[in-house]
Amino acid sequence: MTRYKKQDPEITRRKFINVAMGTGAGVGVLSLVSALGSAKPAFRLTAEKAPPLKGDVLVHADPAKYGQPIKPSELTELAIVAYPMGKAKDGTPVIRSAEPNNQIGVYKFDPAQLKAPTKIEDTDNGIVAYSNTCTHAGCFPKSVQGSAIVNCPCHSGQYEPKEGCRVLGGPPNKPMPQLGVKAQGDQLVLTSSFLTSPYGYKSDEEWEAYLKQAEELLA
Amino acid sequence: MNQWLDDRLHLSRLNDKFLRKAFPVHHSFFLGEITLFSLIVLIITGILLALAYEPSNSMVLNSFDPGTADKPNMLPAAYHSTLKINAMPFGDMLRRIHHWMANIMIAAAVLHMMRIYFTGAFKKPREINWWIGMLLLIFAGLTAVTGYILPYDNYAYSTVKVIYAITASVPWVGDWLAQAAFAGRFPGDGIIPRIYGYHIMLLPGILLALTGAHMLIMIKQKHTQPQYAKRLAYKKIVGVPLMTQQTPIMLLLALLFTGLVVLFAAFIPVHPIEYFGPPSASGVDNIKPDWYLLWVFGALAIIPGFEWEVLGGVINAEFVGAMVFPGIVIGAMFAVPMLDRSKDNQYYAENPTNHPVRLAAGVAFMAMMIVMSVAGYKPELIAGGLLTTQNANTILWILTFLVPAISYFATIGIVRMIRALREADERDSLAHAHADD
Repeated sequence: MTRYKKQDPEITRRKFINVAMGTGAGVGVLSLVSALGSAKPAFRLTAEKAPPLKGDVLVHADPAKYGQPIKPSELTELAIVAYPMGKAKDGTPVIRSAEPNNQIGVYKFDPAQLKAPTKIEDTDNGIVAYSNTCTHAGCFPKSVQGSAIVNCPCHSGQYEPKEGCRVLGGPPNKPMPQLGVKAQGDQLVLTSSFLTSPYGYKSDEEWEAYLKQAEELLA
Repeated sequence: MNQWLDDRLHLSRLNDKFLRKAFPVHHSFFLGEITLFSLIVLIITGILLALAYEPSNSMVLNSFDPGTADKPNMLPAAYHSTLKINAMPFGDMLRRIHHWMANIMIAAAVLHMMRIYFTGAFKKPREINWWIGMLLLIFAGLTAVTGYILPYDNYAYSTVKVIYAITASVPWVGDWLAQAAFAGRFPGDGIIPRIYGYHIMLLPGILLALTGAHMLIMIKQKHTQPQYAKRLAYKKIVGVPLMTQQTPIMLLLALLFTGLVVLFAAFIPVHPIEYFGPPSASGVDNIKPDWYLLWVFGALAIIPGFEWEVLGGVINAEFVGAMVFPGIVIGAMFAVPMLDRSKDNQYYAENPTNHPVRLAAGVAFMAMMIVMSVAGYKPELIAGGLLTTQNANTILWILTFLVPAISYFATIGIVRMIRALREADERDSLAHAHADD
């Protein structure tokens, strides 16, 4: 019988392999996370992507009349879908359609029909403008069957444009926000952007901060 | 030659291990195979479509109708290339086969799962394969949804907008998640290349890997045996071997099935992108997801709007309807093998009527899915005068719980009746057997 006694190594093979695998997995996950970080591109605000701003002119979004200014005389109780048209830094007109949530629905009602929570001071003789992006999942509602009520085709959200676009039915939990609008000659001009937070913004504060930032950047 | 190959590839071992695998003889065991054949046809047609598709949402001049010099007719490249695919010889046909095959793959997968569920084939030792199957179903759904978006017509645009909104509705990390997943704020310049990457590389890769695992485990564990195998040779594998008996059956089935789908595709058009047109400011009327996602759509349509703020994150109806609720449903399906605590391995497919609670629960679950899918037609139900805007949600909510409950008790009742009749039959034949003696 041999008198040789096996010395325990300082570190067992099992322990070594476990530590090596653990380190490998850790480094792997970290590098994956950093690679995922690069999946989100940076956002650069341009005049096309800017929100509707005070002084913008409303133009048709409908492909048939795209880009033509909307005349006050065309307006009815049914939504006409518009994009805001502003100016780039060099003064050329820019339609802000690269941000799809900039869609605006314009209506003209009998001024007596408009009720709170519509902000009457932001309407002009029955002409009223609201965001046209459903606050639920961001689809584009429209007036259907000749009724002034707007319906969202996606999950059945319904809004009443005579009463501040309040929600009549379906899953949306807040109204589509109003914009200040005024007829100037043959054009419709915005006197303000969305008055409350539009689709895509969690709170009014978040929206106001973004609006302020956009105004400063594009000034 | 056989010897030569055998020396190098050990064909005889492959033959013993895999090619002699016994397949049970029962038509319900073909559902999984049909799912597999659909996947193969989907990959082949998908490769052909990818050769002609341009994954970009940059604007290009419409070569079919260029417009005028001061008013050029511009279209997103992806939409334009889909128009071109339609104009190719058999191009539209290729799209139709791809589309219908995808629908049939999911249908076959769902039926396959129903077979597994109702015959108890998910029990020990096959729990892992049930979970892999669930993952396959989830990833098949995701692949279908991303494929939906690629033509980038107005319908696809509305769809991806909703999917973006659902992703962004996750509390705390939603905005980051949506922007990372869809290449920036909607609609980012890189949204189509990103979704193209998902649809042709990432998701099919995952599907193929999971399918491989699913089938290897199935070969290792063997199929559950149909009931007749118990009478024929207890605890022995009964069936026809893959080589050479099952293979011609499989090939015949694959060709016949593909032929049927091609015939189907020849007569039933898919998603007319020319009708919906390129992405535009006008929404799409009557927009609906494919049938297998209609239940989520229905849930979103009847859930009332709400918003809770929790530690700076917002939990809203969208998140609950499109993430939490489907999560619960899928979680329940994942948990199915955990309901069975038996220690023994399951050899034989069970008769569903011997397990009335499981059968009734499955029927009730499907009834609920169907009611919620019907709820997806809420605007049509209102327009048709069946419901009104005021009562639609209430009635649909009541039905969502009432119909499954009725289905549950009705199933239990019917099973009791069947068993009573069966027992009476047995007593009868027993009595007669004695009389004969």
